[in-house]
Amino acid sequence: MKGRRLRRFAPYLLAMGPGLLAASAGNDAGGIATYASTGASYGYRLLWANTVVTIFLFVVQEMSARMGSVTGKGFSDLVRENFSLRITALILLTLFIANAGIVVSEFIGIAAAAELFGVSRYFAVPAAAALVWLLVTRGSYARVEKVFLCLTLCFLSYIVAAFLAKPNWSTVLVSSVVPSFEKDPAFLGMLIALIGTTISPYMQLYIQSSVVEKGITPDDWRYTRFDVLFGTVISGIVAAFIIIATAATLHVHGIKVETAADAAQALEPIAGHYSRALFALGLLGASLLAAGVLPLSTTYMMSEGLGIERGVSRSWSEAPVFMGLFTGLVVLGAALALIPGLPLIRVLVGVYVLNGLLLPIELFAILRLINNRELMGEHVNRPLYNVLAWGIAVIVSLLSLSLIVQALLGWLGVIKA
Amino acid sequence: MLFLTSLVDRPVQGQAGEAIGKLDDLIVRIGDPYPPITGLVVKDGRRRFFVPAGHLAALNGAALLASSIVDLAPFTRRDGEVLLRRDVLDHQLIDITGRRIVRVNDVQLTRVEGTYRVVGVDVSPQALLRRLGPRAFANRIVGRQIIDWSDVQYLASTAPVQLKVSYDRLADLHPVDLARIVDALSYRESAEIVAALDEETAAETLEEVSDERVADLLEGMDQERAADILEEMTPAAAADALEDLEDEVAEQLLARMEPEEAADVQALMAYDEDSAGRLMTTELVRVAENATVGDALAIVRGLEEVPDPLLAVYVVAIDDPDLLRGIVRLRTLILANPQTPVLEVMDDDVPTVGPEDRAEDAARVLAEYNLLAVPVLGPDGHLLGIVTVDDALAVLLPEIWQRRGARAGFA
Repeated sequence: MKGRRLRRFAPYLLAMGPGLLAASAGNDAGGIATYASTGASYGYRLLWANTVVTIFLFVVQEMSARMGSVTGKGFSDLVRENFSLRITALILLTLFIANAGIVVSEFIGIAAAAELFGVSRYFAVPAAAALVWLLVTRGSYARVEKVFLCLTLCFLSYIVAAFLAKPNWSTVLVSSVVPSFEKDPAFLGMLIALIGTTISPYMQLYIQSSVVEKGITPDDWRYTRFDVLFGTVISGIVAAFIIIATAATLHVHGIKVETAADAAQALEPIAGHYSRALFALGLLGASLLAAGVLPLSTTYMMSEGLGIERGVSRSWSEAPVFMGLFTGLVVLGAALALIPGLPLIRVLVGVYVLNGLLLPIELFAILRLINNRELMGEHVNRPLYNVLAWGIAVIVSLLSLSLIVQALLGWLGVIKA
Repeated sequence: MLFLTSLVDRPVQGQAGEAIGKLDDLIVRIGDPYPPITGLVVKDGRRRFFVPAGHLAALNGAALLASSIVDLAPFTRRDGEVLLRRDVLDHQLIDITGRRIVRVNDVQLTRVEGTYRVVGVDVSPQALLRRLGPRAFANRIVGRQIIDWSDVQYLASTAPVQLKVSYDRLADLHPVDLARIVDALSYRESAEIVAALDEETAAETLEEVSDERVADLLEGMDQERAADILEEMTPAAAADALEDLEDEVAEQLLARMEPEEAADVQALMAYDEDSAGRLMTTELVRVAENATVGDALAIVRGLEEVPDPLLAVYVVAIDDPDLLRGIVRLRTLILANPQTPVLEVMDDDVPTVGPEDRAEDAARVLAEYNLLAVPVLGPDGHLLGIVTVDDALAVLLPEIWQRRGARAGFA
């Protein structure tokens, strides 16, 4: 009996991985900054949004993974083969900008972590960029990847910190499900940053390409869907606890998160004097992890779409565009993070506002592809699911649009921004 | 020179110059070395209909038809038919001479004796720029990079219909290049390519493909064929591949292999992945110690399957073929008088390694003693196999393998 039950669950366990990894990748430097700022500035008032956005994330990740398993192709392949060249250029450019922004944010994360340790960022960031470049081009990145991944476990301490801060759990529960709004433009910006950091395009690119790489067919689909669901729920819970921990420790004292040190303060109930070190370690791991992976996957995405010779094992003369693009992304990310006097946390959140603004373009592209019967056959969205998916795309678009309108009106002096 | 992107979406005119619609797509039969256009898909408002190529008078800017009567029945796709815009333009092909995967940025057509045919594909970035900008600017961008159609391999899985595609051109590629392409393509496309190869080429190719992809490919194909390919692979490569499969599948495949080959592979699987035992080859030539040089050469010539590389023959005891006495290098064997006993020319002071020794240590022994192969002796002193310099190279240059795997994690 026990054996049989184990056998029934074994395929689910074996399929675990891509979905979980893709979702936890969302909790990177920018993610932590956004969640911490959310909790510190608005207390529990945006917890409901985290719940909603997690559901959104599942729907989007599920569609991406399904596309990968049915078509056996990556996202940029599908875009190039099914949209006109001009639309393809628009979509790829959008994804490129979004990803480049996140690359910058990862180097900012490294700068912030280094400064918590008392190391100058003018030393740490170039060193990290050189390290990442060498690890990836020499092909030894996979070996150190797990070390970085383990470092990110430091962020789990937010869960403990949230419990130690003894928040009012009934308020927390109510706030998680009952929406509340504010007319403040900053509130809207935070909401969009929350969407932008949780549903980042690279997570969709990643889940789709890993499903394709593993050669998962629609027959094994339910196991992968479970993996996607599990990963999404875990990442949603971690995000919620970061918001709860910062709300219960910082918001109640009116402290806003302006620097990484502020965000680390929320860990004081658990780590005391070591809270900064704990936070810095987690931040360093998360940032290094993404700083290696993102420029590479972005470069692959662009070269696959454009049909350029690709591969990190190729030399400069063999693949000049590929190597140039990859190196350029790393250098650009590191250089921007070194601009003196940069308000780190605000830039991090800003990157995700940009991400949220660009998201509708990606969402509509996914919707067009997933509902293409020639491509997906019987695996197109079911009618009700389609209503939900379109609803998400429309809501995200409306929110982005209203942020742009507000910013424009602010510039023109119509309203006070 | 005619190019697809300057033809599509242009007007289609009847005999008297009247507008019939816009050119939506061109249909070709892919089997031909230079596929002929068999028909046009014309779009009029929301309606798409088929016009046979026989009705086509000329294609230059506008498509001119020889008659004004067209059948307006809606166009439906049929097996064996490929649409140039939908299934070729913007899709991936294999460039056989360039040994790489390319994406089609434009398709070149030419009229040969009254029939329009596909003659090449343009893969230049300029072709992309021409299509991105406004049409008026397109002519100012110069530069093309045309690959002849007889030099590309079209993948049948690209089109959503049943196709009979000839994969003969793949035979021109070296297995190492094939492996690189198999690794770079998506799983499904790579499975299509491997399915088209004969067992021997498939085995040589898979030996160079990343371990994860090999496991996926073997698991995805018919078990009988997977077993046949495994038999053709070197036992060490087959052992590596089987180890990445689920135990149950690996056992099923081993059971389908020839018992002798399966036993070799299983023996290797008993050793760790990075050990000399895993690296060694069990294919070697043994001669008894009472043989002459002439006998030894006769044995080599009489072998049904000669080991490759053949570096030396191994002199063993008369009554125990696993008891190593010494080795005679091939060079010595050829230069020596055929009447000389092998005992006189053999080298009996050779370093050996154990099967549990690390592969790197075996490689170091080869390098230090300037050997082409080092014998592997079991704990009881019995000859198990040899580690050749070829195999050791893979250990000494590990980055080659890791770089190949770098793609697997993230793309």
